[in-house]
Amino acid sequence: MATHRADEKRFLDERGSSGPLAPNGLNPATIMEKPVRERIVDCYFWKDQCFAVNEADIVNRVVDHVHFIGGTYGDAQRPSPFLCLAFKLLQLGPGDDVLREYLEFGGEKFKYLRALALFYVRLTRQAKDVYLFLEPFLKDYRKLKRRGRTGTSLTFMDEFVDDLLVKERVCGTTLWKMPKREILEDLDVLEPRISPLGDIEDLLESDVEEADGRNGREDSEDDDRRRASPGSEFGEVTPERDAMDVDEGEKEVANGNDHDSS
Amino acid sequence: MASKKGAYENTASDTDFRKKYDRAEYAQKAKDREAKEKEESKLRYEAKLAGKKYYAPLTGEETLTQARASRLDVSQNVGKVMLMPAGAATGKKGRGAGFYCEACDLTFKDNLQWVEHENSMQHLRAIGQTGEVKKASAEDVRERIERIWERMQEEKKDDVKTLGERLEIRKEEEEKDREERRRKRKELVERQRAEKEKEVKIKKEYGEDVRVEGEHDEDDMMASMGITGFGSSKK
Ligand SMILES: [Zn+2]
Repeated sequence: MATHRADEKRFLDERGSSGPLAPNGLNPATIMEKPVRERIVDCYFWKDQCFAVNEADIVNRVVDHVHFIGGTYGDAQRPSPFLCLAFKLLQLGPGDDVLREYLEFGGEKFKYLRALALFYVRLTRQAKDVYLFLEPFLKDYRKLKRRGRTGTSLTFMDEFVDDLLVKERVCGTTLWKMPKREILEDLDVLEPRISPLGDIEDLLESDVEEADGRNGREDSEDDDRRRASPGSEFGEVTPERDAMDVDEGEKEVANGNDHDSS
Repeated sequence: MASKKGAYENTASDTDFRKKYDRAEYAQKAKDREAKEKEESKLRYEAKLAGKKYYAPLTGEETLTQARASRLDVSQNVGKVMLMPAGAATGKKGRGAGFYCEACDLTFKDNLQWVEHENSMQHLRAIGQTGEVKKASAEDVRERIERIWERMQEEKKDDVKTLGERLEIRKEEEEKDREERRRKRKELVERQRAEKEKEVKIKKEYGEDVRVEGEHDEDDMMASMGITGFGSSKK
């Protein structure tokens, strides 16, 4: 039977030399910087809630404890539950099939589960797969709370995905330098992105150039979509926990706005 | 174990017997323990030479380790947290004030020490666990997501139900209140009417303008006899 060690000791001791590498060739034990790792394994949340956790328990932990994204927070630079669980994922090394459950089926219901999996994918997958895994969620406009050293702020899933694709540092972790999408397209590693949204600038431009009669509709559609319910993009309408304050009427209006995709 | 003859013999000999028995038992136990400790220290020494930590050998009966079902409840120990420097997962032998581990007979001062002990291989071995955790498959993960989601939906439904029940109960109570007020009002009206009726009756009995059957019979009789009544104006 396949097992993991309940604690991180072997992960941190052995991965340095002989442990399996992540698909992007990095050593999962050193993807997070040493001071951050040390803060994580020293913190109570890690010892209490990340011990003996497997791929399925991750879901419970996210639902119960992850209410914001972030690296370390406060003056004490406490590692966030989000970061601790990302570190646990680095130890568990879940396969793409598990990640798909987190991102899609689970991510519909629990937005922080999706956010965690997106972060983990960015840390461990090859550039091509990072783009393919992450881009679909540029259409997820659910709110996310973010907590950093200075305080709490509001962001959205699509913004978080964008950060993961373009920023150098996210959630207290330096992201490995990934080739730009265009380079991968030039190398025929990636097909040009076909997306109902894509880069709004590009779409507007192509509308003018191709004069295909869409008259920049994407712009207004995007506005509608910004207000649309989260699940509707993915063929399933699932009220999720943090959206419970949205009343049913509002949700229906949002879905109504969202039906036609040309 | 104790002799039935105890009542006829002096108690000292009874205790004597027990002492002898216990002494033999203790001796055997000590011998066993010594042998075990010798074996352990040999293994511990070998482990140390190999640069590893020693743990009691696995028996094959051990179970896998599982994630905690919930958060350790430390509410009763708030304030005790962080009394000791972090990383000092050394408990005190025996039962004492703090977190007591039955399996290891150790007491810990705070929740951090306690959780570190719970995670330690020493403790896991003591409770017969391997420290290995079963890997979950994608199917396991999906099942877990479904279970958590359904649980949350149920809880939501329960919340709505209890809210509904609360409203129902309140409605019933209000209805009862109203019923009670209605009853009191009715009673009052009834009483007032009764009083009024009584008044009216008195009036009728002694009033001037109400003629009740038989009331004037006397007058009539007297009149017929040529005597006018006692101030009865109406005739
Ligand atoms: Zn113990």
